[in-house]
Amino acid sequence: MSNNLKTALVLASIALTTFVGIIAKYWILNG
Amino acid sequence: MSSVADSHAHGHAGHGDHHGGYGGIMRWITTTNHKDIGTLYLWFSFIMFMVGGVMALAIRLELFSPGIQYFNPDLFNQFTTMHGLIMVFGAIMPAFVGFANWQIPMMIGAPDMAFARLNNWSFWLLPFAGLLLIISFFTPGGAPGVGWTLYAPLTVQMGVGMDLTIFAVHLLGMSSILGSINIITTILNLRAPGMTLMRMPLFVWTWLITAYLLVAAMPVLAGAVTMTLTDRHFGTTFFNAAGGGDPVLYQHIFWFFGHPEVYIIALPAFGVVSQVIPAFSRKPLFGYASMVYATSAIAILSFIVWAHHMYTVGMPVTGQLFFMYATTLIAVPTGVKVFNWVATMWKGSLTFETPMLFAIGFLFLFTMGGFTGLVLSLVPIDIQLHDTYYVVAHFHYVMVAGALFSAFAGVYFWLPKWTGRMYDETLGKWHFWLTMIFFNMIFFVQHFLGLAGMPRRIPDYPLMFETWNKISSIGAFGFGLTQLFFLYIVLKAIRSGEKAPERPWEGADSLEWTHLPTPVPYHTFEVQPNLK
Repeated sequence: MSNNLKTALVLASIALTTFVGIIAKYWILNG
Repeated sequence: MSSVADSHAHGHAGHGDHHGGYGGIMRWITTTNHKDIGTLYLWFSFIMFMVGGVMALAIRLELFSPGIQYFNPDLFNQFTTMHGLIMVFGAIMPAFVGFANWQIPMMIGAPDMAFARLNNWSFWLLPFAGLLLIISFFTPGGAPGVGWTLYAPLTVQMGVGMDLTIFAVHLLGMSSILGSINIITTILNLRAPGMTLMRMPLFVWTWLITAYLLVAAMPVLAGAVTMTLTDRHFGTTFFNAAGGGDPVLYQHIFWFFGHPEVYIIALPAFGVVSQVIPAFSRKPLFGYASMVYATSAIAILSFIVWAHHMYTVGMPVTGQLFFMYATTLIAVPTGVKVFNWVATMWKGSLTFETPMLFAIGFLFLFTMGGFTGLVLSLVPIDIQLHDTYYVVAHFHYVMVAGALFSAFAGVYFWLPKWTGRMYDETLGKWHFWLTMIFFNMIFFVQHFLGLAGMPRRIPDYPLMFETWNKISSIGAFGFGLTQLFFLYIVLKAIRSGEKAPERPWEGADSLEWTHLPTPVPYHTFEVQPNLK
């Protein structure tokens, strides 16, 4: 795996986790 | 995909001006060249600037006199909403991504962006998003009239135009995130040997930090509008009090994105100005390291100040105090930057060509916008001025005099390098002075309107506000016409401008000026320079 791909995957996973996380957090809080 | 950039460059070794396999429109649709994509971004942003500008003129036309003149209040609200969305996401942000595409590879000695095909896709998402925003006007119920912040619960009550807007925001966010991933990867992995992080031009530094902000902040906006979408169509009640949700929650989530967004727009503008001022002062940038640290500090602080946009929602006093102190703290790194720009000019061999005029205009007006921001950061004052024209004046000093002036400085500064042609200096100076005068005519007087209590986002107002509104509206039409004049200056330069010398600005010393010919060939740095 190239360095470029590794960097991109780390960044993409941060973005995806934030997106899913923020919805999941309030979904769970709302019950 | 990194191999795409590499093989592309090697495949054309010795054919510096070769445009690839396609000609005409297909060249632009299929291009993976960072310069082509930079050009696409810049032209797209200018078109959207015109579209958003027409809406601004419609708003100012209606506000020329008290009473309802031309547009019903609902359409007026749609104009204010779409003006904000189009200018922020369609005009200013793509303009600086255009600069990033053109400049970052050349400034760090890279052959292209790390992911050339992804770069193409990042751009081509934008026209579709822009179209969705415009098409929303023609749907039943029209475009959403909820303000660019898309606050709940109004968003739940809007027609299908709201869904198109949500989808457009998703596309714009996706484009920004993909573009940011590309920029970070390019800067971290493709720098020429010897181009250490602390030797990078400040424009590259500001974009590196901005791209991190985008990766962290844009998914939050995407989450907020996705929750709005599910509230509208899938029975959830994230923001609906009747179902146990909370409309104020939307404001918290939105501004957690929204305040970093202010710096997503401002930081690349700082970067452009940090290239222009040293070039026309013929001195290195004063306090380079402190500029890098100040930019980083601004970025970090931008995530802990969001609730200063919502002091009036009824938060506890301790909350208000925290956000007030955190907000005033941002003035420290921002002050460091302003000090460094002024210190760069101090005892410099200054000349005042158009890019420098716009940079100094930026410095002067952005500082004013910063000071009114400090005023608004104070809870007791903000509670009085919240949602008045004082706020409108403040953020236009930051967004227009900050970002737009800096973008103009950047276009005039790099146009000779991009096109090999000089713009008409006399016309450029006319553009600057007219822009400066009309900008202040529009927005300086809006401080008075706000202090006198005129609320924002209304199509009608009491008679006592008429004089300043008339001045503001006349200024707006002058400002709009002046930007058509800018288009003429750029087209004239491209078509029949004088041939640019190799180093039109002898004080400019980043790689694109010192290591590349003017105009730059289609492919640059096929062999990376060794800067050790």
